[in-house]
Amino acid sequence: MSAADPAAPRKAARAESPLREAWVMFRRNRPAMAGLALLVLIILATLYGALLYGGDPYEIVWAPHEPPGATPEFPLGTDYLGRDIVAGLLTGGGPTLAVGAAAALLTMLIGVTIGALAGYFGGAIDNLLMRFTEFFQVLPALLFAMVLVTLFSPSLTMIAIAIGLVSWPQTARLTRAEFLKIRKLEYVTAARAIGARDGRIMWRVILPNALPPLIVSATLTIGVAILFEAGLSFLGLGDPNTMSWGLMIGANRAYILSAWWPVTFPGLAIFLTVFAVSLVGDGLNDAFNPKLRER
Amino acid sequence: MALLEIDELKVTFRTRHGPVTALDGVSLRVEAGETLGIVGESGCGKSITALSVMGLVPSPPGNIAGGAIRLAGEDLVNTSPRRLRRLRGSEIAMIFQEPMTSLNPVFTAGDQIAEAIMLHQNVSRAEALSRAVALLDRVGIPEARRRADDYPHQLSGGMRQRVMIAMAVSCQPKVLIADEPTTALDVTVQAQIFDLLNDLQRETGAAIMLITHDMGAIAEMADRVAVMYAGRVIEEGRADDILDLPKHPYTRGLIACIPNVGKGEGGEPPPLAEIPGVVPPLHLLGAGCAFRERCGSAFERCAAERPRLLGPAAHPAACHAVEEGRP
Amino acid sequence: MSALLEAKGLTVRFPMPKRNPFAKRDWLEAVRGVDFALAEGRTLGIVGESGSGKTTAAMAAIRLTGPATGEVRFRGEDLLALGPEEMRLRRRDLQVIFQDPYSSLNPRDRVSHIVREPLDLLGVGDDASRDARVEELFSLVGLRRDQLPLFPHQFSGGQRQRISIARALATNPKLIVCDEPVSALDVAIQAQILNLLVRLQGEFGLSYLFISHDLGVIRQICQDVAVMYLGRIVEQAPRAALFSRPLHPYTQALLAAAPSLARRKSAGYQRPAKLKGDPPSPINPPPGCAFAERCPKAQAKCREERPTLAPDGDSLVACWFPG
Repeated sequence: MSAADPAAPRKAARAESPLREAWVMFRRNRPAMAGLALLVLIILATLYGALLYGGDPYEIVWAPHEPPGATPEFPLGTDYLGRDIVAGLLTGGGPTLAVGAAAALLTMLIGVTIGALAGYFGGAIDNLLMRFTEFFQVLPALLFAMVLVTLFSPSLTMIAIAIGLVSWPQTARLTRAEFLKIRKLEYVTAARAIGARDGRIMWRVILPNALPPLIVSATLTIGVAILFEAGLSFLGLGDPNTMSWGLMIGANRAYILSAWWPVTFPGLAIFLTVFAVSLVGDGLNDAFNPKLRER
Repeated sequence: MALLEIDELKVTFRTRHGPVTALDGVSLRVEAGETLGIVGESGCGKSITALSVMGLVPSPPGNIAGGAIRLAGEDLVNTSPRRLRRLRGSEIAMIFQEPMTSLNPVFTAGDQIAEAIMLHQNVSRAEALSRAVALLDRVGIPEARRRADDYPHQLSGGMRQRVMIAMAVSCQPKVLIADEPTTALDVTVQAQIFDLLNDLQRETGAAIMLITHDMGAIAEMADRVAVMYAGRVIEEGRADDILDLPKHPYTRGLIACIPNVGKGEGGEPPPLAEIPGVVPPLHLLGAGCAFRERCGSAFERCAAERPRLLGPAAHPAACHAVEEGRP
Repeated sequence: MSALLEAKGLTVRFPMPKRNPFAKRDWLEAVRGVDFALAEGRTLGIVGESGSGKTTAAMAAIRLTGPATGEVRFRGEDLLALGPEEMRLRRRDLQVIFQDPYSSLNPRDRVSHIVREPLDLLGVGDDASRDARVEELFSLVGLRRDQLPLFPHQFSGGQRQRISIARALATNPKLIVCDEPVSALDVAIQAQILNLLVRLQGEFGLSYLFISHDLGVIRQICQDVAVMYLGRIVEQAPRAALFSRPLHPYTQALLAAAPSLARRKSAGYQRPAKLKGDPPSPINPPPGCAFAERCPKAQAKCREERPTLAPDGDSLVACWFPG
C-alpha cells in the first residue's frame, strides 16, 4: 500500500479557494476591471463629491437654462429653475445608487428564498410557489409599481420596495433552476448521508454552489432598478423631496427641446453606472465559469 | 509502407503552467485490416493521438509542433483544411466515447447517416436514405426501416453507438478510429459492439485504431498494441506478446492490477497488484523517465536520462532496466 | 449467520409525469420486492447493468432515495419505520462512498471540513478530538497532513475517492454502501482503492454493500453476490458458486461479456452466450420473466409466468431452466 500519491505536487500544498481563483480570473478580464474602476469612481463621487464641490443642489443660484460651458462656475449649466446641475449630479447619485442597491437586495431576498424552497422541496410546494411567482411575473411591472407608489407615499423607500416587488420572479426562477440542478448532485446526497438536516443542505450546501449566476443576476438587477427609478421619476412619480438622477430627468423633461443639458447629463450618469455595473456582472459571470479558467 | 503512419509526432499545448508537450515523438503505424490498440491511463496522450490523425486537435491551445502523419503516403499535417475535410468521414472516420452527445438531437438517425453519405458521395437523397437503412440493418439495429425515423433520444445508448458506427462506416473509410467506444455502455452491449466492430473489419478490411484504458478490450479487439505513458509510446508489439510477456514495468503493472473474472477459480482472490501514485502532470515532467516515481525497478539512470524505445523491432520497450537486462 | 442488514420485499416506485390531468399515473418500479441479507464483517455485491435498480436498492435500504416500501432491518430495527430525526442519528452507523469522486465532494469546502463534518453533525466527540480524528483518518486512507487545508479540485480522482472514504469512516460506521466506488477511476488507481477498502474492512470489521457493474471488481471484493435485472434479484450466491457455476442465463451472459484477458482476437474467440438487444424499460415491464426477450433459452412458459428465487445448490436462482 502506498502511503500517498507521490506525484501530487509536493512543493506547494497551497489552498486556493474558489473565490480567490475567481478574483484572479476577474483581474485578468480588462473590460470587467474597467467597469469596476468606473463603478468605484462613481461611488466615490456620489459619497464625497458633494462635500468637495460644496454647491447646494436645491438652491437657485443662477439664471435658468444656462448652457454648459457658458459660465465657468457652472460647468454643466443650470436647470429650469436655475439650479446647478453638477451639484445635482453629485448629490442625486447617492439616493439613485441606494435605491438600486436596496431594490436589488430585496429582489434577491424574496427571489432566492422562494426559488430555493420551490427547487429544493419540489412537488406540491414547488407547484404552489411557482404559480405564485407566475402571478407576479405577468403583472405589468411598471403599472404595478406606479400603483404602489401612488397608493402609498412617493418616497425613495417605497420606490425601492415597488421595484423589488416587481422584479423578484426572475431571480426566483433562476434560483429554482439552480437548486433543481444541484439537488441531484452526489455531494448533496452525501450531506444527507452524514446527517445534515434540510435547512443546512439548502443554505450551507446548495446555496453557495448556486451563487455565481445569482451574483451576476444581482448586479444586473441593480442596473435595472436604477433605470426603473429613473422611469418612475420621469413619469412624475419620484420622491420630490430627494434629489436623484431620475428626479432631475423627470423635472426637466418638459424643456428637453429648448434645453438638452439638464436631462442629458443625469441620463449619461445613469448610463455610465448601469454600463459599469453590467461590465462587472459580465466579468463575475466569466470569473465563476470554471470552463474558462483553464485558459 | 503502412496504410496509416504516424512519425515522430509532437503536439504541444498552451496551458496556464506554460507550454506542455502532450505528445512527444510518437510513432505508430497501422496496416489495412489490422487493429492497433492504444492503451494507457487518462492523460497519457491516447486521445490526442486520435484527434491529431483526424486533424481535430483544438488549436489554440493545441499545436502540432513536429512530425508527420501519412495516410497511404499522403501527408495530413501540412495538407489544406479543405482536403482534410474531404478525407475526414470518407477515408478516416471516428467513433466517439459518448454516443449521447455526438448525435444531433434534432435530426433522425436515418437523416444523419444520409447526410454523412451525401457529404462525400454524389448520390440522391432517396438513394442515401435507402443506404442509411441498409447500414442500420448491417450494424444490427432491428426494424432498421422504422428505426431510421427515430430521433436520438428515442434510441438506447447501445443503439446510438450503433448509429454512430453506421455513420462512421457509411463511406467505407480505410481507417476507423474508435476512442473508448464502449466506456459509456453496459457490458453486454459493449460485447455486442466489440463483436460488431470485429465483423465489420473482416468484411471491409478497414484498419482500426482502438483507444482504450481496458486491457480486456485490448485482448478481444487488438492485433497489435501500443502502450502510452505521459505522451510517449513506452512499449509496442503484438497483442499476445504484450499481454503474455510484457516488458515495461508500467505495462506489467497495468496487466497485474486488473481485477479479472478469469483469474483463478472461485476462492478468495489475492490482493491486486498496485501501481502506486498517479500519472505526473505534464508540466512537472523532468529529464528522466516519466514513470520512475511509480516504478519498482527504477535506478539512478532513470532519473537522469529519458529512455528511448529500443529492442527488437517487433516488440520494443522504453525502459533502462529492460535495456540493461536488470530484474 | 446473524444479519447486520436485512431487506425484505424492498420496493421503490417513482411516479412518472402524467400525460394529461385525467390519465392514470404511470409508475416506474425501479426495485421490486428485493430480499437480501448482509452479515457483519462481510461484503455483499450487487451487480447489474444500468437500469437494473442496483443503486436504487442500496440507497433505498439506507433511506437516501425515494419512498421505499417493505422492510429493512439494521440490527433488528426497521430503518424504514424510523422517524426523520431517529434516522438521521442512525446514520452514524450507515455511511456511503459515491461513484463520482468529482461530484461527491462539495467544491466549496476544504477537505478537512468535509471529513470533519459528519463528526460535527452527528455529535461525535469534542472539538479537539474531532481535529485529531480527521488527521488520523487522513493518514488511514493514505493522504498527507499538509493536504488538509486544500479544496477538492486540487486532488486527483483517486485522492478524492480517498477523501470520500475518510468521510465515510469518520463516525466509525458498521456498514458502508459503496456505490460503484472505482468505476470512474483509471485501472491502476482502481486497484489502489480496492486494496484500501479490503484493508480497512479487515482493520475495522466493516460490512460493505458493494454496487458495481464490473464482475471482475465484484469477484475481487465480495464474498456474496446478488445479480439484479430490471429491479429484481435473479441470482444470489456465494462468490465461489457464482463464478464457477453461474446458473441464471443472464449471469452467464454477463460473465461472457465481461472483457477478459483470456479471450484473444488472435485465437479467434467466439463469445459463448451472446445477448441481443438492450434491457427492457422498467415502466410496464413484461408479465413473465423480464429477461425472456433477450434469453437464448427462453420458452413459452418464461414469457407467461415469472420465476421466483429458488435454491439450487449453494445458490438462489430465479429461472425456469437454470444451469
